[in-house]
Amino acid sequence: MERSSFTSEIPVFEIPGGIHPKENKTLSNQTPIAELPIAKELIINLKGQAGKRSMPIVEAGDYVLKGQIIAKSDGVFSSYQHAPTSGTVKAIEKRPIAHASGLQDLCIVIESDGRDQWCDRNPVSDYHNLSREQILARIFESGIVGLGGASFPSHIKLQRQEGVNTLIINAAECEPYISCDDRLLQENAKEVLQGAQIISHLYHDLNIIVGIEDNKPLAIEALDKARKELAFESLKIGVIPTKYPSGGEKQLIQLLTSKEVPKGKLPADLGLIMHNVGTCFAIYEAILHGKPLVERVVTLTGNACANKGNFKVPFGTPFSHLLDFCQAQEATKIIMGGPMMGFEVKNFNVGIVKATNCIIMAGANELANNQTELACIRCGACMEVCPASLLPQQLYWYAKSDEFDKAEEYDLFDCIECGACAYVCPSNIPLVQYYRYAKSNIRNNRIEKVKSDKARQRHEARLERLERVKREKAERHRKAAETRRKAAEAAGQNDAKKAAVAAALARVQAKKTQTKEETNSSEEPEA
Amino acid sequence: MILSSPFDKEPNSVTEIMLWVIAATLPGLFALVYFFGIGIIINILIASITAIVTEALILKLRKRPVKATLFDGSALVTAWLIGLALPPLLPWWMIVVGTAFAITFVKQVYGGLGNNLFNPAMVAYVLLLISFPVQMTSWLPPSELAQNPVGITDTLSYIFTGSGTNGQDIINARQGIDGFTMATPLDHVRTELAQGYRITEIQSSPIISGLSGIGWQWINLAFLLGGLILIIRKIAAWQIPAGVLAGIFLMSLLLYFTDNDQYLSPLFHWFAGATMLGAFFIATDPVTASTTAKGRWLFGLGIGIITVLIRTFGGYPDAIAFAVLLMNMAVPMIDYYTKPKAYGHKTNKGAAADV
Repeated sequence: MERSSFTSEIPVFEIPGGIHPKENKTLSNQTPIAELPIAKELIINLKGQAGKRSMPIVEAGDYVLKGQIIAKSDGVFSSYQHAPTSGTVKAIEKRPIAHASGLQDLCIVIESDGRDQWCDRNPVSDYHNLSREQILARIFESGIVGLGGASFPSHIKLQRQEGVNTLIINAAECEPYISCDDRLLQENAKEVLQGAQIISHLYHDLNIIVGIEDNKPLAIEALDKARKELAFESLKIGVIPTKYPSGGEKQLIQLLTSKEVPKGKLPADLGLIMHNVGTCFAIYEAILHGKPLVERVVTLTGNACANKGNFKVPFGTPFSHLLDFCQAQEATKIIMGGPMMGFEVKNFNVGIVKATNCIIMAGANELANNQTELACIRCGACMEVCPASLLPQQLYWYAKSDEFDKAEEYDLFDCIECGACAYVCPSNIPLVQYYRYAKSNIRNNRIEKVKSDKARQRHEARLERLERVKREKAERHRKAAETRRKAAEAAGQNDAKKAAVAAALARVQAKKTQTKEETNSSEEPEA
Repeated sequence: MILSSPFDKEPNSVTEIMLWVIAATLPGLFALVYFFGIGIIINILIASITAIVTEALILKLRKRPVKATLFDGSALVTAWLIGLALPPLLPWWMIVVGTAFAITFVKQVYGGLGNNLFNPAMVAYVLLLISFPVQMTSWLPPSELAQNPVGITDTLSYIFTGSGTNGQDIINARQGIDGFTMATPLDHVRTELAQGYRITEIQSSPIISGLSGIGWQWINLAFLLGGLILIIRKIAAWQIPAGVLAGIFLMSLLLYFTDNDQYLSPLFHWFAGATMLGAFFIATDPVTASTTAKGRWLFGLGIGIITVLIRTFGGYPDAIAFAVLLMNMAVPMIDYYTKPKAYGHKTNKGAAADV
């Protein structure tokens, strides 16, 4: 593939490992971003972002306009969702969602009326007049999440202001096949940079760096041109060599700053924040045009795709609609995301979500791995390509034998699941699958442990209480006996009759107090 | 089953790696055949057949898929290395015993490919060496120094019957032009040193020449060439042979400096005996070697140092096999202590100034 001759404007450092799979980007990056006819039915997954489910605020039968809020954030960790087109809410029900295991989840189903009519929008001509809180609120209410693939709600990422001095725009797009960011920059570099300026304004001016792989010469040119038009000379373009997975957040930070995000810390602890090209564009649209996030650029590609290219696709558009449009009947496999980190979609009646950056319609012998899995020969090829400097061969060994504590000791949780190890494995071992298995087991064990710890504490508290009650009872009996003995002594041997009466009275008295105390103790609340 | 990412796969395979290893031994094999006749090829054939039959039988007994595993090429590589390491006129049944033992007890009993602790070829070698020390140290003289060069029919006769076609004893084949029974250069030096000769005196012997000895220097150079192919193709981890050669160099240099009339030079050690075969083809067996980058260095260095120590002070003329097996034992520990620091676990040293 063609490489850019543009010299990086900042020093570029090395990351360990990495691979060079076939890029296959020219399949889709040759034509401008186009629009698609709107699907009849849109299925909007309420859990279409990282975090929690959004809460629907419309009901079946409601008429909605494009851009109208249909679901709110849970207030902590989720995002707003908007009607991607105008039409009627048909149902709010469980539907299959775009997930590797074909799970079902709550979705808002909208029947489009074909008019695609916008609701009232509220653009801001000069955001400099808005306060930080006001801008953040707009970003929040526009439902903006990271469009690089993780869909992390952007307002949360933008919350922390203190110590941040640099914004890195992630335009690396290192996964093969995907070209949505490339095309977006070629056509809308100016808008993307304006979005970045809004983010910069939130922090009272940041240094801004674009991190981009050298396999996107046209996008780099467009950036350079847009920068001149905007008189935005402080922007630095960091051109990095094409290598997977350079676009991972941690990897791109290492490439551009040589720093590593310490374990358990955030990029913000290094004074950095990173946002994807698409996210910057979405922020621009939300603030300057009042357009909430209702669609995204999706790369439709693969050998079985007749209409390869990039398209603006409203969220909730069913895969089947896209496959029909691309005449992908011959596809052997439909992958959402890239070939390295994406997953296979088997049910085509699911809607696209904010993370759907690419759909690969694989043709015969494309991305088909027919080798059988053999024994690990510890050749270490995986170790050589691991960008996190892990020992994948050892992690595999421990994951396979369920030695999870060992796997954790070998830093299993620093694995970013980029798949470089499995890509080079001569024994064709699905390594990432083993790591996911170990991670989910460890996570479940942790939850179980918390639960069992609580149960144990409760049990111990109960035993202690019972023991205490028993001790108190014994003490009371001892005291009663004491009273009886004293009474008998006081009465003396001279009046045996009196003594018998006194003893009986003491017994009654003792019994009374005992009943009373027992009632009390049984009312004692559970610990 | 849900097949998870990645979907793309580099077109490579274990079989490909194994075949590359075999291909890279060819220069060394040619050199061995040139100097010692086709006995080596017969060795390899006997070992290969034994290895494949044994592997198939054991896989069947273990109820494992025979076909998929048999043709991964690993048994063939083990056999090939055994064949290259054994002296050329060894009785056929010894090769069978050694190879079958290696495949059965060193590889399959541990769970097959990838699970064995010890290098199978080297265990076979050591087993034969301590069981049949005389035959195992009976190398032929290089063809140019042989009194009675051994032809093809004689070779077969020695291997399968124990004597030549005319019933002559194997001693006959081992006679050098000077009438003495020939030994390998390393063996020769060791015997002479034991008799009180100095290195300078020993060097006048016809078998000692050039880098090490007639024939052996070329064999080592040929294995070095093949080994470099493995390194360039990234089939073998470069740190291991680098470590072995560095270990040999450092240890022998130290001894050489203390008394260069008593101890062999580093160069002689490098190009004598099984050094290059060991460094590039045996120590690099990924299953039994250390698997971390630093660990591979330590593993190689250990082999190099132990080799020189045994060659100099031990009871055997060569020591690659012992050194490899000793270091195999240390691998779990080496691996444990050489775990690289994962991303985000290092302190940010030398980070760029604020951009």
